[in-house]
Amino acid sequence: MAAIIEIDNLTHRFADGTVGLDGITLEIEAGGFVVIAGANGSGKTTLLRHLNGLLLPTAGSVRVAGVCVKKHPLQARVLVGMVFQDADSQIVGETVRDEVAFGPENLRLDRGEIDRRVREALAATGLMHLADKRPHLLSGGEKRRLTIAGILAMQPRVIVFDEPFANLDYPGVRHVLDQMIRQHRAGCTIIVTTHDLDKVLAHADRLIFMRGGRIEGDGPPPVLIARAESCGVRSPRAMHLGLEALSWLN
Amino acid sequence: MAELTAFAYRPGTSMLHRLDVRMKLALVAAASLIALQLGFSGLGPMALSLMVVAARCPRSLRIETSELRWIGLLLAFVFSARVLSADGTTVLSILALDITREGLRAGALVSLRLALVFLIGTLLMGTTRSSEIKTAVQWFLKPLPFVSAERVGTMLGLLVRFIPVIFEEVSQASDAQRARAVEYRRNPLQRAVKLGVPIMSRIFKRSDQLALAMEARCYSEFRTQPLLKAGFKDWAIFIPGCLWLATLLAV
Repeated sequence: MAAIIEIDNLTHRFADGTVGLDGITLEIEAGGFVVIAGANGSGKTTLLRHLNGLLLPTAGSVRVAGVCVKKHPLQARVLVGMVFQDADSQIVGETVRDEVAFGPENLRLDRGEIDRRVREALAATGLMHLADKRPHLLSGGEKRRLTIAGILAMQPRVIVFDEPFANLDYPGVRHVLDQMIRQHRAGCTIIVTTHDLDKVLAHADRLIFMRGGRIEGDGPPPVLIARAESCGVRSPRAMHLGLEALSWLN
Repeated sequence: MAELTAFAYRPGTSMLHRLDVRMKLALVAAASLIALQLGFSGLGPMALSLMVVAARCPRSLRIETSELRWIGLLLAFVFSARVLSADGTTVLSILALDITREGLRAGALVSLRLALVFLIGTLLMGTTRSSEIKTAVQWFLKPLPFVSAERVGTMLGLLVRFIPVIFEEVSQASDAQRARAVEYRRNPLQRAVKLGVPIMSRIFKRSDQLALAMEARCYSEFRTQPLLKAGFKDWAIFIPGCLWLATLLAV
């Protein structure tokens, strides 16, 4: 499969001189399900924000579906949808429906197309019955589904989840996992950053460890998982017992 | 307080719900200004006509009792301030305060006017999505030079979205401080600073994150706007509405 994301020697230095990313070179295949794990401050979020041009490289390059992110950040943001860690900070609409329509409206689509995409996204995330509700009245899990719906309405080819399970209860985690798997089956490339492998590793086909802004390990989860603890990440409980990672959807 | 039911939109199919939002805003603005000018002879008919309109969309006027208390307090404060500040024939003296007939009349007048304006506002907010209000405001601002109507519209939309979030932040910060016995601090200014600084910090951080999230979804001022279409039915309500308001003003 062709690579949809190509990162070449990516370095990012913050204004205070801290090196956030240090010479990252990485390719992600279209249709993959990649988990990027690492302790807090390892550079996971910094890396994700280079995929849609929210951060620009100090050195190196990032291309998404052949598009140079630095030169065409708007195009990159259409290709890469990002679900942020804090749902409240991401939701801008006054109602659930308005929130989902926000992205397609920014793309200047005609009203008929916007309404169609909103209906589909709400149906896909099970939020149709909440369309007129105000976002601050939703539960944590519903807010997370709403942010996903908002991204789905833009029909990205890559969906990036930044710590998607933070502050979610068990049903909320299952809903988010379910959405990830559905979109993956529909052909989206899924990238998830987390330090909690237990919830998602069973579904990933690739695992990347990061530490200090660098990639410490990259490969199939069963092979790489042995290095989890040394990278500041707890490996899934089942694997401590010599079993395969268990899905939270079973 | 994050959920002020008095100003919450309630979906419906009443005449007010379906009225073109620009006409609704124009009528509301005119009615509010006229209400502030009316005497007792005009306030009665206006109140009656508003009750008739409200009766046709009753769900829009569902206000929690606890909020009525605050509204009542505000009106009582305005009434008292007016009563105690007007000169005239004294009808009652309490301690050093004289309550005059003219003061009572003026207090009743201003309180009634405010109550009507509140009722008009509640009818508007109960029957109109804030996104529609935003679009209508943009439409009105469009002809003005040097004013970015789209930017004003976005600011309005974000304000409506984030007022409940800000109240939540205040509530959380306040609870966290009370859990650490902040009430033992007697100095109210100190307590205000201890509360205000972390809240402002959190709000600004949220704003940064919000800006990033909007950028991530390709936000720009030039985006598809909701459709605004006024038909015969809208004009059939708007024109009689304007005539009625003009009549009230003439009376």
